[in-house]
Formats: sequence, C-alpha cells, structure tokens
Amino acid sequence: MSDNQDPQTDGSGPGIVAPDDETPTWRERKERRTGLSRLTYEYFERSRREDQDLRQESTYVERDVLGFPAWPHETVRNLAISSFFVGMLVFLAAMLPPHLGDVANPAQTPSVIIPDWYLYWSFGLLKLGPLNPELSILGGEKLMSDEFYGVLANVAVVGVIAIVPFLNKGSARRPVEQPFWTAVGVAGVTFAFTMSVVAVQNLVPFSHGITFDLSFLLPLVAGTIAYSVLKAMREGYMYDLNRRYYRLRPPK
Amino acid sequence: MADEFIKGFAILTGGLLIWLVFAGWFNTPSFYDTQLIAPNPEDPGTYAAVALVIKDAMLYFALVGAFTFWVLVPTGRRAREYYAETDS
Repeated sequence: MSDNQDPQTDGSGPGIVAPDDETPTWRERKERRTGLSRLTYEYFERSRREDQDLRQESTYVERDVLGFPAWPHETVRNLAISSFFVGMLVFLAAMLPPHLGDVANPAQTPSVIIPDWYLYWSFGLLKLGPLNPELSILGGEKLMSDEFYGVLANVAVVGVIAIVPFLNKGSARRPVEQPFWTAVGVAGVTFAFTMSVVAVQNLVPFSHGITFDLSFLLPLVAGTIAYSVLKAMREGYMYDLNRRYYRLRPPK
Repeated sequence: MADEFIKGFAILTGGLLIWLVFAGWFNTPSFYDTQLIAPNPEDPGTYAAVALVIKDAMLYFALVGAFTFWVLVPTGRRAREYYAETDS
C-alpha cells in the first residue's frame, strides 16, 4: 500500500474502515430502522474492504478499477432484473388479447405517412420552414428552399450533439456535480420532445403557432429549472464520498 | 422516505398491471377501437362480473394506495413531528 493520503484506484489508501466485528451484516442492516444511510455506507465500506483484502492477497494483476466483484454482487442483481423483465414479457404476452391486424395492402398509400416515433424529432426539424428568412436583398426571395433548410437544421443539430463530448469529458458521476451540462442535456431532450410534437402537429389539439413557439421556449424553461434545482441540491452533497466510490478512472 | 416511495410505487404499478389485464379483456372491443376504457360488456357472466369488480377494485387500490404512501403517511409523520416539537 502506498504512503500518500489520497484514495487509490485499487481500493487501498486511507479511509473510514470500521472493524469487522462492528460493521453490520446485511441482515442486521435490514433489521435496523434508524440511521439507514450511515449503515448502508458501512455495509458498502465493509464490502469494499473485503474486496481490497482479496486483491492484495491475490497474485492477479490489479485492475485500475475500483468496484465490486461480479460474483455475487453484480450477478445476483442482474439475474433478478433479467428474471423480472422476462417474467413481465411472458405475463403480458400470455394475458393480453393479441392484436392480429389486417394484412397490409401494398397497392394503397396510407393516409398518414410519418416515421417511427423515435425519428419524430428529425421529422419535426424538416418542418422549420417558418424560420427560413426571406431576405430583402434578394427581393423577398428565400436563399434556400424550405426543404433544404430543414435538412440543414438536421445537420446543425447533429453537429451540436457531436461537439458536446469534446466540450465535456463526462467526469461527473451525478447530474448534481455539473448542473450546467445537466441543464444542457435536459434542454436537448425537451427540444427533441417539442420537435416531435411539431412533427405530428395534425394530431395535437393546439394551433400551429402555439406549438411552434412553445417548441423553442419550453427547452429554455426546462433547462433553467433543471439548472436552478441542481444548484440548490449542491448544498450538502458529499463530493468526496461519492468520488471515492464512483471513481472509475485513474487519477490525472 | 425511500421505503414509502417504493411501497406506493409497487402498489401503483402492481394494481395498474392487474387493471390493465382485465381492461384488456373486457373493455377493449378491438385494437382500432377504444382501448382499455370502453364501457363494460352488457350482461356479463358470473366470472366476468367478478373480474369487473376486481378490475375496479384494483384501479382504486392503485390510486388510493399510492396516494396513501406518497401523501398521507408522510403528511401524518410530519404533523406528528411538528406537534411533538410544539408540545415539548
């Protein structure tokens, strides 16, 4: 073990490690009713300590990842989650009456043509024609067609998404650690949703002007709310504790 | 607080799941018609009538249960804490 005082990525280093006879087992933790956060912390500290001892005793090459062993922690949890979803699929498939629709008629064009729902945002960006400026120097002509303008809007949005990983390296483990970038993400998700609403405007019970204005206002509002809420949550957030447990990269 | 949340959430999702199944059986005439909230079938048999009662009971169980654990129980706790502080 090294002598410096920083937590090491292999799990060694100083830390609050309660003696084994004082730390609660999982069953004891379940039976306690008060101080649950402290008990949970001690439980995981004990688990981490066992993991550390195993690593230091073994001759296996140390990984630079601080984590919990795949067996049993991760495996049991993953088995439980998989079993739940498989069971839910079987239950719904067995219990709900099946929908056996009519055979598709290839000779007839459907009345409504829209992409799958996860592409609505892109379909909505194609409908940004009202934003296409009519330039006076061109005598009120538009520089490009509304269709090409919509394609350019797609290019711009995808370009912005591609730039974000270069601006933010993703070192935060929780949204509360970087409120600004969380607000950017919330605004982006909201913008995707509002653009989806614009794409299916004919199904929405509002006038086109309202949805079109809201589709640009709501992302700003949602981002501002997310930023202010997370700024308020920073009070009392234990950075050191969380960084200690969720440091998944070697220190710089 | 977290325990109360998951209790209310389990009641909400479990109750709504059973409601969903019975509503899919008895209140969904066809896929392209009204789904889940169509009127009850006229002249249901004995078993269907029992299922309709269970369906309604599950809907109210889900809503009232979630409301109880998310609103009523925390409110009662806070009120009890408050009055305990003011009394002493």
